[in-house]
Amino acid sequence: MKKTNKYEFMIAWRFLVKGRFQTLLIVLGISMGVAVQLFLSALIGGLQISLIDKTVGAAPHITVMPVDTIPKKINNEQGKISDNKKVFYSERREIFSWQQYVMEIKTEPGVEIAAPVVNGPGFAEKGDTVVPVAIKGVSAEGLGIYRIKEKLLAGGVELSGENILMGKAIAERLAAATGDKIFLRNEKGEQVLAVVCGIFDLGSDAANKLVLVSLDRARSFFSFDGISAIEIRVKDVFAAENTGKVFKKKFSNVKTESWQEKNRELLSALRSQSSSSGTIQFFVLISISLAIASVLGIAAVQKSRQLGILKAMGATDRSAAGIFVIEGALLGVSGAFLGVFAGLGLSVLFMSATDASARFGLEITAANILTPAALAVIASVISASIPARRAAKLTPVEVIRNG
Amino acid sequence: MAEDIILTKGLNKVYGDRLKVSVLKDINIAVRVKSFTALIGPSGSGKSTLLNCLGLIDAPTSGSIIIDKTEFSSVNVNGLASFRNLHMGFVFQFHYLLPEFTALENVLMPGWIRSGRPENDVKEYALQIMERIGILKEKEKFPAEMSGGQQQRVAIARALINKPKLIFADEPTGNLDRETGFEVLKLMKEINAENGTTLLIVTHDREIALAADHIIELVDGRICKQLDVKKTGKTAAAKEIENRSCRIQ
Ligand SMILES: Nc1ncnc2c1ncn2[C@@H]1O[C@H](COP(=O)(O)OP(=O)(O)OP(=O)(O)O)[C@@H](O)[C@H]1O
Ligand SMILES: [Mg+2]
Repeated sequence: MKKTNKYEFMIAWRFLVKGRFQTLLIVLGISMGVAVQLFLSALIGGLQISLIDKTVGAAPHITVMPVDTIPKKINNEQGKISDNKKVFYSERREIFSWQQYVMEIKTEPGVEIAAPVVNGPGFAEKGDTVVPVAIKGVSAEGLGIYRIKEKLLAGGVELSGENILMGKAIAERLAAATGDKIFLRNEKGEQVLAVVCGIFDLGSDAANKLVLVSLDRARSFFSFDGISAIEIRVKDVFAAENTGKVFKKKFSNVKTESWQEKNRELLSALRSQSSSSGTIQFFVLISISLAIASVLGIAAVQKSRQLGILKAMGATDRSAAGIFVIEGALLGVSGAFLGVFAGLGLSVLFMSATDASARFGLEITAANILTPAALAVIASVISASIPARRAAKLTPVEVIRNG
Repeated sequence: MAEDIILTKGLNKVYGDRLKVSVLKDINIAVRVKSFTALIGPSGSGKSTLLNCLGLIDAPTSGSIIIDKTEFSSVNVNGLASFRNLHMGFVFQFHYLLPEFTALENVLMPGWIRSGRPENDVKEYALQIMERIGILKEKEKFPAEMSGGQQQRVAIARALINKPKLIFADEPTGNLDRETGFEVLKLMKEINAENGTTLLIVTHDREIALAADHIIELVDGRICKQLDVKKTGKTAAAKEIENRSCRIQ
């Protein structure tokens, strides 16, 4: 294929420069489209990331729990031992063979943390105030799932001995500060002394009603021989469901639940948000394309005299078409370029206009920038192919004869 | 004996699908290389149509055109375009300059089309021609900023830029005043003599026609008269044109 001639580029450029107003209008149109697309995808992306982060940023991605029903036989019908040929106890309210599960879970690629927890209801008491709380016994590793170190408002994360960590909501209600002594009481009315080592803010109200104690302490406090659950954090949040499925296949005596299964509604809301933003972007793209096609279509008619002369002087049909394709590409590229800057400007403006407490980060990634820009260029070239075909078809004699 | 650069055999042009209009009927002409031929005839007689066919811009309905020993009826669009670009120059009645480009750029355009890009020696040559025909001062002007005569000269310079073998001009002086018209004509004649270019001009003007080597008169799509001005002599030729009757050849 013959490469594009430079003179076609020169003519296309001159046509655009000389058609000042028209050119400006269409470049503005394209850049507005690109800016809107960029801003919209950054906004939606940022919103979704912040929503997902709120949901799973400081929470387990997968939880392995005891099956709450009558346990199955350890051996299956064929006489083979279930659960991947390893001998496990049948589980009911507690997981007894949790060390084996944890070891097994940790062999799965993508698993970052797998830690046992003991959960139970209880009360926290300081002076005259009694507050119902959720008590969770965790290992030092398990604290990583809740990113406690990052979420700490005061104190440290040392859970040995009588030390506990408590959520912001409880601390406020008890008027407790780090170093304060409080009492923890279980359902049976048994009471232990605890020292507030740290106070955290996990972002949600429910999570802030949590009291974290050491695993061993929780086990004796709630008289557990096993544990309540194994909480798992994976590297890729969105892979959690698939990783969970692997565990479901492997382990038949426990229940596995990923955050996606737990938050179906949130996910479907996010999906419909994405698809509606996709629809908007699609129609923005269509209107850009139509604008280019119609403006260049008019230009092709307006320039038919020039094209006729050029063809009479020996310009090929290909060159005549090439001029319009180049025009489309130039419009697309300059519109995309301007649009990216306008979109980024819009984002900066948005960030400074929204108040800090309600703010979530805009997701400005290379993909968010390049996708609308590339789409605009592609759409421009494709739309330009309509007038280009017209230009190719024109015969010089039509112009020469009719003036 | 000089050879023929253009030779047509039984050229016909019919317009229209249902209502057929025969515009050119059995045209047989021969144009000598390096000659200056004037095409005359009443309005609507088919002069422009013939010129466009010979210039490979329009296609005849039947018959053959041989230019520079090449038969063109089976050559494709790109081949025709390339031949026009390399070997033909055109001056149209209504200038047809590109309004978006300066005088110099307009002159350069066939050169750009030929090589695909601007080249310095072509620009050099363009400036020479423009100086020669007295429009060097206008080189940076756009067509809208030039007079009709200046524009026509730019068109002539443009027709010359690729050093063509043939120049076709359709009433090049048609919308110029007499004086400018003759000046433009004189220029074209000089270039024809200097470069050995073959010149074909459509004209309504008797005086211009009589300045040519040959005159071909069309009436109603047929060749009415063919005159060799030198052989016949100017006065005899002038009388011959005045004569309304056609010699059926
Ligand atoms: N597209 C067309 N369809 C039908 N008839 C046409 C078409 N183009 C030209 N004609 C007819 O062909 C005839 C010759 O036209 P042409 O332009 O060649 O004449 P001309 O000799 O150049 O006239 P003028 O001196 O007025 O320029 C005219 O009768 C014209 O009406
Ligand atoms: Mg005419």
